[in-house]
Parts: sequence; structure tokens; C-alpha cells
Amino acid sequence: MGEVILTMKGIDKSFPGVHALDHVDLEVRKGEVHALMGENGAGKSTLMKVLTGIYSKDAGTITFEGEEVEFSNPREAQSRGIVIVHQELNMLNHLTVAQNIFIGRESMKGKLIDDAKMNEEAKKLFAQLNIEIDPTEKMGNLTVGKQQMCEIAKAISHEAKVIIFDEPSAALTEAEIEELFKIIRDLRKKQLGIVYISHRMDEIKVITDRVTVMRDGGYVGTLITEDCTKDDIISMMVGRVIYEEPKTESAVPKDAPVVLKVENLCAGKMVQNVSFELHKGEILGFSGLMGAGRTETARALFGADPKESGKIFVNGKEVDIRSPKDAVEHGIGYLSEDRKRYGIVVGKSVSENTTMASLLEFMKGLFINKKKETDTTEEYVELLKTKTPSVDQLVVNLSGGNQQKVVIAKWLVKNCDILIFDEPTRGIDVGAKSEIYHLMNELAAEGKSIIMISSEMTEILRMSDRIVVMCEGRKTGEIDISEATQERIMHAATLRN
Amino acid sequence: MEKFKNNPLVKKIGYNRVILIGVMLLIYVFFSVGSGRILGYADIMSALNYACFLGFLTLGVTFVIGTGGIDFSIGPVMFAAALIGGRLLTKNGCPVIVALLVCILVGTAFGIMNGFLVAYMELPSFISSMALMMLAKGVGSVFTSTQTIKWPQLTDENGLGWYRNLIRWDAGNGVTIPVGLILLLITAVICGIILNNTKAGRYILCLGSNKEAVRLSGVNVRIWQMLAYVLCGTLAGMAAIMYVGAYTTVQPGLGDTFNNEAIASCVMGGTSMSGGIASISGSIIGVFIVSLLQVGILAMGFQKDYQYVITGIIVILAVFADVRSRRRAN
Repeated sequence: MGEVILTMKGIDKSFPGVHALDHVDLEVRKGEVHALMGENGAGKSTLMKVLTGIYSKDAGTITFEGEEVEFSNPREAQSRGIVIVHQELNMLNHLTVAQNIFIGRESMKGKLIDDAKMNEEAKKLFAQLNIEIDPTEKMGNLTVGKQQMCEIAKAISHEAKVIIFDEPSAALTEAEIEELFKIIRDLRKKQLGIVYISHRMDEIKVITDRVTVMRDGGYVGTLITEDCTKDDIISMMVGRVIYEEPKTESAVPKDAPVVLKVENLCAGKMVQNVSFELHKGEILGFSGLMGAGRTETARALFGADPKESGKIFVNGKEVDIRSPKDAVEHGIGYLSEDRKRYGIVVGKSVSENTTMASLLEFMKGLFINKKKETDTTEEYVELLKTKTPSVDQLVVNLSGGNQQKVVIAKWLVKNCDILIFDEPTRGIDVGAKSEIYHLMNELAAEGKSIIMISSEMTEILRMSDRIVVMCEGRKTGEIDISEATQERIMHAATLRN
Repeated sequence: MEKFKNNPLVKKIGYNRVILIGVMLLIYVFFSVGSGRILGYADIMSALNYACFLGFLTLGVTFVIGTGGIDFSIGPVMFAAALIGGRLLTKNGCPVIVALLVCILVGTAFGIMNGFLVAYMELPSFISSMALMMLAKGVGSVFTSTQTIKWPQLTDENGLGWYRNLIRWDAGNGVTIPVGLILLLITAVICGIILNNTKAGRYILCLGSNKEAVRLSGVNVRIWQMLAYVLCGTLAGMAAIMYVGAYTTVQPGLGDTFNNEAIASCVMGGTSMSGGIASISGSIIGVFIVSLLQVGILAMGFQKDYQYVITGIIVILAVFADVRSRRRAN
């Protein structure tokens, strides 16, 4: 490791209602690979966005090459030599490799673009990196791994001094990861500073020199990778004090019948052989890191996305679920993590949304019985304490928590016994949060069975009777609440093959 | 202005509709002054001839635009229906009633095709209706060997002209009953009930607003989306009857201008191009405005082209108001 090239000190950033970064420090040296770790929402991405000028910081200093800097956009950061290689590649598939690399700063010959020169330049870049890619190939014909290498080449062409890799290995095969590491080691030898964001514990051990751990927007500490174990890192990641009372034992009787059984569910890369059981009156937590395949599992189960194979049993009987319609007919309701896109019709009224799934019950011959519709909606507005001036109010005008209650009402009116809550409290303020928790507990006590997907550890520990943990499309753990600890869950959530 | 907006009567009718009715009256006055004579009975009857077929087209396309789609085929489909029905009537000796039913069936068939392509094959409605527009033009031409079809006059010696009473019925003593207008208004009321009081209308508007959320509520969205196009096709078939009832002559290869006028009427009336919001009464007022423009421009001695200019401007204003009110809501 060489001298310090980049220092971020006391970085603070708040968004309305969220303290996203709380005095975070990060130091990167020349010729080092520095891991940045933390759970979902720990603030890693936000920190990198502050660094590259996507967000402005509220407090703190950024020192780059001995000089205090503040970038107002990623382009500025780029021109100084700080470049991000994104997880989602921003490539134009119809252009060639060289055209992609030099986009926005094309070589010109008079008024025309000089493709030959760009191809030549790209070839030189690839030679530097010891990779073989034809610069005239269309970007869309390359594998994800090769595309990522083009992105790295692009970074190098900007004369990058610090490269940030944001979960670079997520979409790569083992062989591609090997090749990526070779390049990263090469870059390290060339005295670049590298920030490596990843959830994969074993990779951190292989490729990085130091680790900085963040938790809940705060800085936890920096370790020399060689001197620490996986357990050390995990305990730093999860070592928070849990304020809300966690559940200590399951509220479900031992002999509660199985209402839903999923056997070897497969749907693409994100759902591989997932099996689990859900008991009557149970809240089954689904934990895991971003991209673990929890939402995909729920959507495949619900028939929202096609599944490849696997059996689903409801109340002991095998059922064939091919569309959300089938799932709803079998009493399964799904509350999406993205309410505005998948949960509610924002331009329509509270009552129209409430009866959406069960309109058939509100028909009087050919016509909708609007009186009955209004009465039922009012009943549920009262029951769930939804705050709305009237049932004719458009849902777009309600707060997140109240929108969520409208979706809950929709499934209760349909009389669904199995409810899948996907991130039930995302985008909901603290007060409404505990109301939703209370509601979920009540529903479970009444005999509804709940699957709760959550990325918040505290939420998982507070609500679940049992916890299923997933990692990269596979189920990697099943823990009863009486034995659940943050460490155990995080272990399972980072368990790769 | 605020006071006007909050007036109970204005609120009941709807602010936008009050404005539209105002625009309609303004156009009437403008043309009366411009042409140097009060637009009278003959002009209004002429406007009604136009309003009847355009009204049926507009009612249909209101459902499609309510789903967030668009249908560019209705004009040519109307003509294809009128050509096929007319050819069977005049050349093949079909009874009139069969010819009229054929009109409706042809329209419905095109609606089914369009709905299937959009809802089940997931083609953008822009493209599928464009293709069907050409198909309708082609089919109409082929079926009639590119010859103009003349539906029988009221005075037809074989008594085949009775269908014209569906537009205007001469009750004797110089009293003419605008049957076409009455049929249009009855159809509009039925469409309004479908849109606002039945499952079909509810789902059509909801899926226009957020299709995926409706699907995830366990609703078979494809069938309801398709239904909007089928209704639109059927109404285009009925529009064909209104058209021949008023004008008798149908030429192959035409009809596309009526798409634009129907869509314009619909948008003017407050139906949102992005789907989810539709107004039947607004569409009807839109139709009257466009029809009045058509007649008024001619009364003033101008070319039809001016009608397009003015319709274009009104549509831009209407869409602008729609976009602005939605932006404010967000």
C-alpha cells in the first residue's frame, strides 16, 4: 500500500426523515483494494454518491490527492480521476465496444466521427489490461463479464486514479470473477486506489487489503483484512442494539396446521429449489441481502412471474398457480414492496382500490352496487384506522402508511388467508410503522398466515415466528425465532455455495 | 374564477364541461356573425348528420383511450363495414336488415382482431391499429373492386331506403325527428353506464391507470383490455350505418380523417390520453364542437382545411390542460 490518495472525513448527509450518513470516514491508499461493507441500507451507496457528486454532503470533508474537493456531478469527479463501475452496466447495446468506451468524447476527423482511431485507442486500452475484446464488436453480443471489462477499460481511459466497484461480481460466473480479480490485482500494482463494495464475505478475504464497515448510516470501523475473520466482520455489520422488543419465542402452537407448502420452487437464477412451509397463524420472516431472490420467490409463488418447476400446496392440496388470478382464488394475497407500481391504482379512489380483487361480490346483476361498495370500504377504513377524508378520496393523496392499509383492506375484503407482505414498512414513517406491525400481529392472531419479506434486521427479529434466510436464489437457512440472532441470520445470508 | 368553479351547478356538471359548452356556444356565435346569418335549421341538421356517425366513433374510442391505448383504425373500419354491407345490399341482393347487421359484424370483427393483438399478443395499440387501418382500407377496396358503393336513397323503388329513417324520420306535416341523434344519445347513456357502473368499465379504467396493479389483484386484465377494443369496433360498425344513412355514398380507400376527429373529440372532452380517466358526456360535447366547426367553416365559405387548423388548436389546448392538471395533482 502506498500513500493516501483519498480521504473522506466526517461525512454527514440527511434526507427528509432519514439520517442517511452519520459522520462517516473512509480512507483509500494508492495500490490498495479497500472493501466497503454493510447491510442493506447501511449507507454504502449513499457514501459513494456523495463522493462522486450525485449528492451534496451536509458536513465533512473530502480530500483527494492532498487537496480538498467537492464535485457537483459525476462528470467532474470523472475528470479528476474518480470513476464508478456500476453493478447495473450503463452500456448501449447497439453501439460497438469502442463507441461505448468513447461515448461523449468521440475522436473526430473534421466533422465526422473517426471510428478507426477509436478502435485503435480501445485496442491499446485492452492491451494494457491484458484482456481480449474486439473493439468493433457490438456491445450487446458480449457477456456481462466482458461488458464489465469494457466499463473498466472506459474508467482507465478517463485516467482514473480511484475506481469504485459496486457489487461487481453479482452478475458474474466463477470464471469471470477470476478474470475480474486478475484485472483488479493488475490495477493495484499500477498504484490505483480501489473501493470494492460487495456482500460476498469470501471475496473480501481474497481480494481486499482493508475493510471499512458501515451500519445504519454510521461508520463502525476499519480493519486490515488479513488480520480479521468473517465473524469479526459480521459482528461489526450487525452489532446494533435492538431497541424494539424482539420476539423471543414463536406465538404459533406446535401443532398448527400447514396452510402453505412450497416444494423445490424454481424460477430463473433468483429462485433455485426453494422449499418451505407456512403454518396457520404464523409470521414467517424472509431475510436476506439485496438480490437474495426473496421478492422473486414471492412473485413466482403468487403467479406474477412464470415458474419453471416446483409444487405448491394450499391446505394440503396441490394447486396449479399460473397467474395472480389463480393465486387469489386459492386465498393468497400479495402486498408488493413497490406499492405505487404494483399495489394500488393511485389515480382511483379508496373504495375502487379496496374492492379491486373482489368486485364480483359487489355486483347487483350487471351493475356495481356502489352503496355496498361504500359501506364495506368504510367498514375497513374504520377497522384499519385508515386516515382518509372519505372513501372517494383518490389514493394518490394518502400517505404511504395509509396506502398500505388500503392494499391490506383489498386482500381482507377478498378474504385471503395467506398474505405475503413484501417490505411492509418501506417508505412508511415511524408512527405508521408500528401501526402496521400491530395490524400484522392481529391478523396472525386471528388465524391469517403471513409471509413477511424484509431487509430490516430489526423488523425480522421483532415480527417473525420463524425465519427463512436466502442468498443468491437459494434458501440458506431456517431459524426459529427462539434461536435467532443477528449473527446467525447474517451468516446464512452470506452463505454462498 | 374560484367562485365560478365552486358554484354548485358548475360543480355538478363539471368545470371542464361547462367550459366546453361555452366554447361550443362561442363557435356558434362566431360562425353566425362570420357568415352574416344566424346558423339555422338546415345548418344544424347538417351538423347533426356529421355528429351522428362521428359520435359513435368517438364513444368507441373513448373506451380504448380509457385503457391508455389508441385506435387509429376506426375511420377506415367504419368505411370497410359500410362498403361490405353496401356491396352485399346493392350487388348481391341482401335484405337491408342483413346489410346493417353485416356493418356491425365487420366493425366488431376488426375490434376483436385489434383487441387480441393488443391484449394477448402485446402489440403496442399504436402499431396494431395502424396495421388494421391499412387492412380495413385494403379489404374494403378488394371487396368492392375499388368501386364507389351507393347505398339506396329513401326514394328507392324497391323500398330499400327505409334505413335512412334511422338518421332522420320525416313524420309528416313538415316535422322531422332526428332519430340518429336520439340513437346516439341513448347509446351514449348506455356507454356511460358501462363505463361507470359495470365491472367492465371499472376494470377498463383501472387498468388504464395501472395495469400491473390490477393484474396483481387477481384480475384477468387481458380480457377487459380486449373488450374495450371490441366495443370500439362494434361502435365503429354502428357508425357505418349512421354514415350511409346520412351520406349514402362510400368510397373505398378513405376514412382516416375520421380517426383523428374522433380522437380529437374524445380528448377535448376530458378523456386522458394516458388512460384511466374517461368522460362519455365530454366526448359527446367534443363531437358537437367538431361537427359545428365542420358546418360553420363551410357556411363561412372557407375550405375544409381551416376546420383542421382550428380542431388542431383546440386539441392542443385540451391536451395541455390535461397534462397541466395532472402535473398539479402530482
